[in-house]
Amino acid sequence: MFETTKIILIENTRNLIKKIKDAPFLYLMFFGMIIFSIFIFSFATYFLINIETNLDISLEDVFFMVFFLFLLKTTADFYNNFTKSLKLTYSLSTQVSQKKTAFETFLAVLLTELIIWFSFSLTFLFTLSIFKININYPFEYLLFTIGIITSSCIGCAISINFFSPKKYRLMPMLILLCFYFYASNPIYVVFTLPLAIIHCAWSLKNSMESYLFSKRKQRTKERSLLKTRTIIKTQFHRETIILWREKLLFSFVFSSVITGLFSGYLFLYGDEILIPGPLRETLGGFLPSMFLFLGVYVVVMYTAVFPGLNLFLNEEKTMWIIRYLPIKNDTIVYGKVSALFLCFLTSIPFIFYISIFTGFDQFGFILWFLIFSYIAGIIISVPLGVKYVGKKSDILLLYSVSMILFLVLGLMVSFVNIIEKFFSDPFIFYLLILLFEFFILYFSLKFSSHILALKYNLTSDNS
Amino acid sequence: MIIVNNVTKTYGKIVALKNVNFTFNNSSVIAIMGENGAGKSTLLKICTGILPFDQGQVTIDGFDIVRNSIKAREQIGYLPEMPDMYERLTGKEFLFYIASLRKLNDAEDRIYDITKMIGVYDFLDYEIGSYSKGMKQKISVISAIMHNPKNLLLDEPVYGLDPLTSRALQDFIKKRKGTTVIATHSTQLVEQVADIVYLIMRGRVILSDNVSTLVSKYGNMEEAYFQTKDEVNV
Repeated sequence: MFETTKIILIENTRNLIKKIKDAPFLYLMFFGMIIFSIFIFSFATYFLINIETNLDISLEDVFFMVFFLFLLKTTADFYNNFTKSLKLTYSLSTQVSQKKTAFETFLAVLLTELIIWFSFSLTFLFTLSIFKININYPFEYLLFTIGIITSSCIGCAISINFFSPKKYRLMPMLILLCFYFYASNPIYVVFTLPLAIIHCAWSLKNSMESYLFSKRKQRTKERSLLKTRTIIKTQFHRETIILWREKLLFSFVFSSVITGLFSGYLFLYGDEILIPGPLRETLGGFLPSMFLFLGVYVVVMYTAVFPGLNLFLNEEKTMWIIRYLPIKNDTIVYGKVSALFLCFLTSIPFIFYISIFTGFDQFGFILWFLIFSYIAGIIISVPLGVKYVGKKSDILLLYSVSMILFLVLGLMVSFVNIIEKFFSDPFIFYLLILLFEFFILYFSLKFSSHILALKYNLTSDNS
Repeated sequence: MIIVNNVTKTYGKIVALKNVNFTFNNSSVIAIMGENGAGKSTLLKICTGILPFDQGQVTIDGFDIVRNSIKAREQIGYLPEMPDMYERLTGKEFLFYIASLRKLNDAEDRIYDITKMIGVYDFLDYEIGSYSKGMKQKISVISAIMHNPKNLLLDEPVYGLDPLTSRALQDFIKKRKGTTVIATHSTQLVEQVADIVYLIMRGRVILSDNVSTLVSKYGNMEEAYFQTKDEVNV
């Protein structure tokens, strides 16, 4: 009974333990950040309760934020544990009904989400009680818990039907989500739980269609460019051909444009939209530059950090090719990193689109800051990618890199503010900073190639 | 020529190879046999420089795999047990990628000749991700032999290959000059192509002999394998 559920839970737990053992520092930092974030939320709650503002803390906003986070997580978890899973072939080929296996997978996902929900929420309630805030809200807690169950059902149904050949089956859940958005009331989420369960059960019944559809093999013919190149050009070509075929370059350009427009809009109107009236005078002043900062940060995250990390993270099973061929580690690193210069070009539209809102007089500064941030992204992500080869797009690694980058860029912005206070034309400083950063980049790449080298700890018996 | 001198390799507490010594001479085909987990693939990985070891020395044509790694790796062609490749590249792109990194000038002609011999020429413009297991094996075999290496290390070379290609590869191995080391479970393959066989058990070499001697003594390689193992176990 529930063998598949048990196996999935055991394997996921063992994977987590193995990852913690493999990269203890990374996970220590991650858990530290979680605890820190919970304390910050508790302190913010305490602060907002005790100061006199007209600010309303909306339960609905918090509810729907939690709801959608769990919705996304369930969708991804069910995809990883069922639709994409190769290991499931074994249980699906036994005499046990395939629908039952799909249901047991869903159960494993649901249990995981509930464990996460209870651990996080109870820690949060504990920290609130430290601040002596009343936590006696059983009805609201129940509301949130039912919300998590509903989001898991909807997430599972979306995950199944998104990969189905019959995508129209997504419609009921999309209509339901639109209804939630329109109604903006958690109680409707609770009332529609039976609907979500029915659609989820129906989707699970048809889940094999998605499983088989996502695993179909298509023979793709591509035009090959046939010539031998230098080693660095070969590495560049291989990296960019994958970025091109995965359509990542298009997605980078598209995201740069959208981020430029969005952060530009917030640059102009963010104060009015996001800051409540009573706090606007106190907090409003720094918001435009913050949105500019965040815009650059986001663009750099997906055009430099994602591809920078994946240069090596994705090489787990293909490392043998790099290692057995007679190439220096330096050359491998330089060749791969050269592909990031093409990715940099995809971030350029951001500057043009944000300048529509900020005015073109800031164009030079934004370009400088983008270049600085981009190089900083490479400096941080490449060595970490090499260090953790094979941890395919590990979310914790990404989180750690994003935090480090945020800190570095934040410090640089503070430094720039200081410079601008003392010098009217700090162009030369900007140039010097970039030169210094290129120097650091060189060392970062050297360090990466050092990490890439195999470590022989030969004992003294070695002849 | 590959010399493995007193090599020890451990994975945590598990000893994969213990004070192993080999000399793989030029112009010979050497087969390494042994049960699952005996250390055959580990030995090949160590010889190609993709796996570090704890003790000993490995030299490829006089070049130390640790101190003179690039030169040593120039002398090698390697086929891994599970050849994972870049799935979004076409077969042709992958072979040109390897040819570029190996600095081959006449890559196009070589690729044409070998792909015709192995029987994958018509599929070269398709992405590797869409290939069957056997097709991937063929592409990987080509990438290992296209630069005509002095030392060829093959881990289960005929695994997944159709009988025709398997025979073509066996003929190629028999005819080629230089050292060929094959790690395999197939006693039939050993009998067909190998000059010398080494039997590894729990990380130690328990037998090394000429294939022809063993075949004349036991009748065939399969019998030789089981008899020798039984003798050692006793």
